[in-house]
Amino acid sequence: MIDSVCEQTDYASRLEHLRRRKEVQTREKLDRQGPMDEDDYGMVLPPADFCWKPKANHPNGSFYGLEGWCDNFCDLLEHHPVYVDPMDALAGRYMVLLNRLRECKWPPQYDYDELKPEHARYGIISGIGNDAHFAPDYQIGLELGWGGLLAKVRKFRDEHGPEKAAFFDAEERVILAIQGWITRTVEAIETAAEQEMNPVLLDNLREMAEVNRRLIEEPPRTLREACQWIAWFNMVSRIYNRDGAGGQLDELLRPYYERDRQEGRIDDEDAIFLLACLLLNDPHYYQLGGPAPDGRDQTSELSFLILEAGHRLKSTCNLTIRVHDGLDPRLLRKGVECLIEDRKAWPRFSGDKALVEGFMRNGYPAELARRRIAVGCHWMALPGLEYTMNDTVKINVAKVLMVAFDEMIQKDSAPSMECLWQRFEDHLRRAVLCVARGIDLQLDHQHENEPELVLNLLTHGPIERGLNVTNGGVNLYNMCVDGAALANAADSLAALEYRVEQQGRVTWQDLADCLEGNYPGVDGERTRLMMRTAPHYGEGDSLGDQWALKVSRLFTQLVTEQPTPGGRRMIPGWFSWADTLRLGEQLGATPDGRRAGEPIAHGANPRPGFRDDGAATALVKAIAAVQPGYGNTAPVQLELDPCIAQDEAAVDIVSRLITTHFELGGTLFNVNIVDADQILAAHKDPSLYPDLVVRVTGFTAYFANLSPRFRQLVVDRLIRGA
Amino acid sequence: MSSGLITHIQRFSVHDGPGIRTTVFLKGCQMRCAWCHNPETLRPDAEIQVFPERCIGCRTCETICRHGAHAFTETGHNYDRQLCVVCGECVDECYAKALVRVGEMRTAESVVADVLADRAFYEPTGGVTISGGEPLLQAEFTVDILAQSRQEGIHTAVETNLAWPWRVVEPLAAVVDLFLVDIKTMDDEAHRKWTGVSNRQTLDNLRQLDALGKKITVRTPVVVGVNERPQQIGAVADFLAPLRNLDQYELLPYHSLGTGKYESLGLDEPCPEFRAPAPAELERLAAEAAGRGLIVKIAGGAFSGTPLSSPDSLA
Repeated sequence: MIDSVCEQTDYASRLEHLRRRKEVQTREKLDRQGPMDEDDYGMVLPPADFCWKPKANHPNGSFYGLEGWCDNFCDLLEHHPVYVDPMDALAGRYMVLLNRLRECKWPPQYDYDELKPEHARYGIISGIGNDAHFAPDYQIGLELGWGGLLAKVRKFRDEHGPEKAAFFDAEERVILAIQGWITRTVEAIETAAEQEMNPVLLDNLREMAEVNRRLIEEPPRTLREACQWIAWFNMVSRIYNRDGAGGQLDELLRPYYERDRQEGRIDDEDAIFLLACLLLNDPHYYQLGGPAPDGRDQTSELSFLILEAGHRLKSTCNLTIRVHDGLDPRLLRKGVECLIEDRKAWPRFSGDKALVEGFMRNGYPAELARRRIAVGCHWMALPGLEYTMNDTVKINVAKVLMVAFDEMIQKDSAPSMECLWQRFEDHLRRAVLCVARGIDLQLDHQHENEPELVLNLLTHGPIERGLNVTNGGVNLYNMCVDGAALANAADSLAALEYRVEQQGRVTWQDLADCLEGNYPGVDGERTRLMMRTAPHYGEGDSLGDQWALKVSRLFTQLVTEQPTPGGRRMIPGWFSWADTLRLGEQLGATPDGRRAGEPIAHGANPRPGFRDDGAATALVKAIAAVQPGYGNTAPVQLELDPCIAQDEAAVDIVSRLITTHFELGGTLFNVNIVDADQILAAHKDPSLYPDLVVRVTGFTAYFANLSPRFRQLVVDRLIRGA
Repeated sequence: MSSGLITHIQRFSVHDGPGIRTTVFLKGCQMRCAWCHNPETLRPDAEIQVFPERCIGCRTCETICRHGAHAFTETGHNYDRQLCVVCGECVDECYAKALVRVGEMRTAESVVADVLADRAFYEPTGGVTISGGEPLLQAEFTVDILAQSRQEGIHTAVETNLAWPWRVVEPLAAVVDLFLVDIKTMDDEAHRKWTGVSNRQTLDNLRQLDALGKKITVRTPVVVGVNERPQQIGAVADFLAPLRNLDQYELLPYHSLGTGKYESLGLDEPCPEFRAPAPAELERLAAEAAGRGLIVKIAGGAFSGTPLSSPDSLA
């Protein structure tokens, strides 16, 4: 894995080398593993001869519980290859996702067969058995280091006594395994240094070895050490269960940066290179700027340097700028400049006002709400303070609507919009209850299934209490429940009201037959187009917009009106992640003119081609209007023509779109700026565009690594608008 | 309250004046620029656009047309514009949008309501732009929309060829914050050749507006074979240099985005030899004009600021 000597060792050349190497690694992943319709994750492939398999502790071939996870994780780390690149400031890459090596992700003794029929019926993604998807507090680790964390685990093991010894023993072994992996990496760095001829790289390797040797036990003191510590945590957390939540990166690193600068250890060019290496190591979700608990803006010099690092790196990246009234306007501007100039679909922008006010609606104070930050695909979390199941629980509301529709056709002698809405409400209530029971099951047993042995370490409570984060380890359980297919449900309701009830162009039964046959023949196609051209969501003050609002309000009401049977709070949002294909495959033809099996609309977005002029302002207003308003998001996913990069006013225009969306109540803003011709050419032959990065949904990805179907989905969205 | 014929209203318009704007395209123009990329705005009456590739062959248009304008033969759908009275009944039934009516009568009040829909996005520099076609072909309607918008505190712009007597132009001056005016060429003979209209009134009116202190952006659509030589652009710049209220001079490279529309309207395609100057040529032209002390911008071509879609193909 050791790179050869390279003559160019200035930072720009080193970054170029690292970026190209990542592109090669990305290509290798595609060649060996096939397309991946998800985040890049920063993973690299292990050597071809690396072969490691987990040991089962259950007859079904899977592994569960403290012992199963701890044994396998520790064994994996013991064998996990080490990775050193003399051009990189940071050591290490991860190569295996342990949680993807399980045969079955939920212990069969806690079966939920009684929930499964409704999961299938309502298009529910239950989240049962899903891991991570809450945020660690890196501050804990940065203050304690691995040695301090180990001491903390041992201290509380002593305090809690034998009853919880198994939990603490597992946590202890996890830390020791991590320290062992770092130790082996240090040895590899030293070996590399012995072979290194280039004086700059030799110095780099010596410092890298020193940094990592120290970090085996001690907490970081410098910016380089802090970046390396975060990278180690990210890597082991990824290996354990793909966790990708980041933190408030500018504030986490600011003390180290300021100290280094004061003591003359680094200049800003050094800092930018270090930060670029951290962003390259893993495209975790980090927030920049935004309010501190007391409302003061957290923007610092480091916020700008992190953006600059991403700008120079020009790779996948998931930085989010938190836009609030007090934000340094230069940070917003710099972010939009990066978005337009680099065309890598980052940063994203998070709307503080609606998020804080929304979270406070759950009964929390403003100080706490401000600490809840954008650190996931679409999601918010209080780092180290809450468990959320973010982005893992979804209800396909269009599927729920079709259950109601079919039932009405079968049972009601006089179908009507009123009947349909009543049945929709009933079924959506049942779907939410089904989801709530699934959440309870997860919280009751996830610690026996998959204890969060890595994330527990950076969470306030689990170690102190000897309890897994899912099982009483924290005080706050704010469970994320997302709706999906809002546009399909709203457009279907609008089309039914307009074409069936108002205009009488088709009868309920004829339409039902048409849907059953998937709009067959020329007549069926005409009916489909008739339904599709009815007023729809996103047009602005249309029947579709009214229905979207009504659906969103109902969904919000049902999710928030009562906790789960087990007493856990649920928070609504609208987000489909990359499940637009999967959720569409499960759904027959719908009254909005969508054919059976076609993808559902993305997140809270109106359907592609929702207006003839495709106006971004209409999109931004429509999505702002349907926000559930309890502190989780319903993001804008906007696709823009790249010619704005030639227009100096483009930064003002895009900034205005973003700030207006947030003034109107929006929560998260994702933008792709992609050339139509380029994306079509890349779709035809992805290998010609290895560096083309698109924001697929909450995450950015190399376009070339998406499957043909997923590329088509992105192309359709980009070419047909929104 | 006046009414007028519009082709469409474009929200999030970012090329027709500063900031985020709503642009109202009026139907009808007295010029016939050979390179026009909005041919649907030329005729002053409603008409039907036909997009055969969208047709699903349901033949509803043939069934319901009382004038026999639609017929299906072995070659597919045939539409006879001579027989069509543009009643629009076929369009209402054509869910495939193979038939599209272009031209909608609207009151000024209803247009302003659409303009206000995006009011939240206009600050600090955006607003409303009336374009076309030629807005002054419907002068009262144009003034009404702009006056009402101004009363709402919205920045107003108009995109006009100014090829009108001053008495037609003058009422606009009171309600317009920014005039966007094309000078295709300073050579009047060439101007007549390529647009069918003299440029004298345009140039006179520009001086008058400048004397009134009205802010003006002048633009030249640069078309190879028409006005791409440095001395031609230099001549425009010479005219503009004395104007005190010229905001900027923009060079708009020709693009062929409008060519597909001609066929849909039953019109002949524009001269196929038209093309845009190469970027380096444009830079030279910009330098030529800038040498006269003007602020010169080269427009970004096809940037719409919107998603890259043409109208929903309904595929």
